[in-house]
Amino acid sequence: MMDKILFLPILMPLVLAAAIFVIPEKLRRAKEAMAVFAALMNLAVAIVLFKGNIILSLPWLGKGLEFSLRLYNFSSFIIAATAGFGFLITLYSIMFMRGKEYARQFYAYLLISISLVNGAVLADNLLAMLFFWEGLLLTVFAMIAIGGQFAFKAATKALIIVGITDLCMMAGIALTGHLAHTLTISKISLPLDALGSVAFVLLIIGAISKAGSMPFHSWIPDASTEAPLPFMAFLPAALEKLLGIYLLARICLDMFKLAPDSGMSIMLMVIGVVTILLAVMMALIQKDYKRLLSYHAISQVGYMILGIGTAVPAGIAGGLFHMINHAIYKSGLFLTAGAVEKQAGSTDLNKLGGLGRKMPVTFICFIICAASISGVPPFNGFFSKELVYDGALERGNLFYILAVLGSFFTAASFLKLGHAAFLGKSSRENEKVKEAPLPMLLPMVVIASVCILFGVYNALPLNGLIQPIIGTIRLNGHNFAGFPPNTMLVIITLVVLAAALLNHLFGAKAGGSGIKAADHIYHAPVLSTIYEKAEKRIFDPYNIGLKVVGIFSKIAWRLDRGVDWLYDTAAPKLAGISSRAILKLHSGSYSKYLVWSLLGMLIVIIFLTHSV
Amino acid sequence: MKYESMLLSIVFVPLAGAFVLPFAGFISSRFRNFLALALVSASFIFSLKLLPQVITGQPVIVSHNFLLGFNSAFYADSFALFMAMASSFISAIIILYSFGYINHYKNQNEYYLMVVLFLGAMMGIVFSGNLIFLYIFWEITAITSWRLIGFFREREHLLKADKAFLVTVFGALVMLLGFICIYQQTGTFDLKANLISNIAVALVLVGIFSKSATLPFHTWLPDAGVAPSPVTALLHAAILVKIGLYVFARLFIAVYSISPVWHTVVPVIAALSSLVCAGAALIETDLKRIIAYSTVSQIGFIFFGLAIGNEVGIIGGLLYILMHGLAKAGLFLCAGIVEQNTKVRDITKLGGLIKAMPVTAISFLLCAFSVMGIPPFGGFFSKYLVFSGAVESGQLAIAFVFLAGAFLTIAYLLRVFNLVFLGQEKSPSQKEGDRLMVFSVATLAVLSLAGGIFISYLYNFAAISTTQMLAMAK
Repeated sequence: MMDKILFLPILMPLVLAAAIFVIPEKLRRAKEAMAVFAALMNLAVAIVLFKGNIILSLPWLGKGLEFSLRLYNFSSFIIAATAGFGFLITLYSIMFMRGKEYARQFYAYLLISISLVNGAVLADNLLAMLFFWEGLLLTVFAMIAIGGQFAFKAATKALIIVGITDLCMMAGIALTGHLAHTLTISKISLPLDALGSVAFVLLIIGAISKAGSMPFHSWIPDASTEAPLPFMAFLPAALEKLLGIYLLARICLDMFKLAPDSGMSIMLMVIGVVTILLAVMMALIQKDYKRLLSYHAISQVGYMILGIGTAVPAGIAGGLFHMINHAIYKSGLFLTAGAVEKQAGSTDLNKLGGLGRKMPVTFICFIICAASISGVPPFNGFFSKELVYDGALERGNLFYILAVLGSFFTAASFLKLGHAAFLGKSSRENEKVKEAPLPMLLPMVVIASVCILFGVYNALPLNGLIQPIIGTIRLNGHNFAGFPPNTMLVIITLVVLAAALLNHLFGAKAGGSGIKAADHIYHAPVLSTIYEKAEKRIFDPYNIGLKVVGIFSKIAWRLDRGVDWLYDTAAPKLAGISSRAILKLHSGSYSKYLVWSLLGMLIVIIFLTHSV
Repeated sequence: MKYESMLLSIVFVPLAGAFVLPFAGFISSRFRNFLALALVSASFIFSLKLLPQVITGQPVIVSHNFLLGFNSAFYADSFALFMAMASSFISAIIILYSFGYINHYKNQNEYYLMVVLFLGAMMGIVFSGNLIFLYIFWEITAITSWRLIGFFREREHLLKADKAFLVTVFGALVMLLGFICIYQQTGTFDLKANLISNIAVALVLVGIFSKSATLPFHTWLPDAGVAPSPVTALLHAAILVKIGLYVFARLFIAVYSISPVWHTVVPVIAALSSLVCAGAALIETDLKRIIAYSTVSQIGFIFFGLAIGNEVGIIGGLLYILMHGLAKAGLFLCAGIVEQNTKVRDITKLGGLIKAMPVTAISFLLCAFSVMGIPPFGGFFSKYLVFSGAVESGQLAIAFVFLAGAFLTIAYLLRVFNLVFLGQEKSPSQKEGDRLMVFSVATLAVLSLAGGIFISYLYNFAAISTTQMLAMAK
């Protein structure tokens, strides 16, 4: 009976979500209390299950297809992380969502999402995994759509992009099941041959699109401005990074044997590097707090894909470590954005400035999280990035150089963001801004302190969480905890960060304010024309896809109308012509009729005599 | 004997009872309505009672010596029961919805007569043990649907009804030629395992494709959208278009062996049909026509599942019939509520209806999710199983074409939902539909959801049906 406990993290949040729906609208406090209680209960369950090892298998769809859940170190860790973030974000939302129209629905969707995430990571059967995984699509759609009257456009974009990639994953799962003769994840072990590669690519499409990698990224910036902010803070913690990269890791490490010299490894690294660079270049020129952060969410996922794609121990450890770190600091950053939005009423950088003195706690949390994402020692992001660099360098100088270049722009854009929002002169509207209330500050402070903890004492996550996931065989005696051994790489990183600072100071001086610090890059020759086109969304794969679909639909429509023409016009005309022709034969002359009859009889006789 | 009479009741209770309805209507319209519901429910209940017997692998057979050398009259195995239960259940919900919908219009006696007669004929097709009965019931459905499409008696509607009638009857006549070919080869009209020639298969396929609205015989279906909404739901989603699919599975999977070339030819036609109509659905602006195009497109998926010729695909196809029936009926009935309350069918002139009709909007969305194949809705599993079957038979190329069709499905359904229910409010009169109507669509939406969550029961039923079917052919 012990194994049935695995249903608890799936069903409990679901039941409590239903309860939130049922509680009448008037009892707002009861709803909020319920939401916090539910998140707390989930956290408690996650802690009880942490580091557990349970397998549950129930007969499901006929022969060989079982509904199996498996709790082991990797899944228990993701559940615990999601529960932690879920709790902090619920706490934060109590203040943030108060007074918003769809607050009640938001809590319920948040809980349903947690339930689905728990299901997806626990599932040890690909079909069950897809069941929960794709189900998340609905809560994502719902949570974006409740953002405002026109948020549904962003929600639709998200649903279409992620829905299509999920269908690819569905085809991939069908193919994997066919090749491996099982859908049980822990039993699958496939080589990357011709069909195996097709299955691999289809599965990867599903994983990295949820993670928000290019070319499936473009819903994230749109959602960031439209969706309720706590959703954006929850996104990396739940489905985006933790789940997407979790699956990527499972695909690359467990299900397929990704080797460092394979084409698939190079493909993943290229996707990673391209995502890092293009997204960070876009982040640099954003003028909205939330939109800027969302491009970083895309860019950082590039480091994880690059790390796992290297298929060498350092890279994989770095990629997974970066996944955790990213969830931490990116949630933190979005929460600071929410605090600014709530207190100052806007996230437009043109309207912000000088908030550092008025919101000191928020500012400090921002600094810590921004330093983490930029890879400044001794915060957590530094250590995971160093590991990714290590792995990339092992696979080729070019990947390393491009990844470091990404770091330069990351640092530059966060200097710009911090400068524009928290330093400089405050505008007149911001005169009376106060620090955010305690329920909003608490999650930020907790998250920021974890950034420091996981950096200074990185043996805790690395030895306790990451390296057991990779397994001793693959680690091959490495231990990545502690300070990076390669001093040369650390020095290069520090030089790059210093260069970013100098670049910022130069830009800020030339532009006259923090927000214009990146203008010299924006206006650089060649880049400026590319930027202009990118801002018009000419390069948005979604828009390109829509155009192709539009052309195809028109052709299909013509074809359909053509077929219809056969029925509506051609057939009646043909009938008219032939009946008029026959009518002419009916002239009323008996002699003619007689000739027709005789001829007919002749044919019948010939037919009968010949056929016998 | 008990089971045989039950089997006959499934078919003849609605078939004969239908003719009582107009007289009942003279007494009281309420009485007539409930009688109609009772007749349809009777089919469902009798099917349910037959289930424990049939599921053990013992088919129920009613035989009688007719002239022309055929003996078997009616035949019930798990597959037939699966189909009968799915269609009679959806019909019952549609009739419930009709109570609210049709009482605004004239000729209600005719309406209920035709709907119940239609269902009876459908049951006749499902349980037919020989090709002649099959053909007769097939034509009865054509006649009733002709009357139902032209229900509002406007000239244009009548023309469209004629078009539907002419196309399907043309197909049926070609099919009859095919039946005669089969008779020549096998010497009987009974459904008995045999290898049949490609000519016969091709002729019968024309009939099936015209009834199931598959390219190039599909255009009558979008045109038939002029019919009253419950009828379009009944015709398009639940029953009429599924007849072709059922007969396809019955003849070419369960009974006759056909050349393996059809395992490629039929999926290719289905893929084309699916893709072209999905594209057309993205251009069309009439609410009901879009959903009709979507039906044509989804029918392609079902043909694909049934025709690839392996067990998983067939199970997927069967579940797809059920899941699509539930969800698509829901979509049409939602469209009916929108149309009746706003008097507008052009989706570009609608908008923001979610405020006025929240239950309808949510039901529409849930049913749309099921059609798109998103879990936890039932449509997810059927779509997955069809793909899984395709991969297993190595039909990767066609599977990718269908994958593109599935992409388009997401796009056109969301387009409809966004334009009709979200954004700016455009149409003047807005209110939620009649209570029974809203209840019916919500039921269908909830059932689509339940179908996904409790998939294992349905799956087992479909799996048993498939195993029995495949065992019969051997």
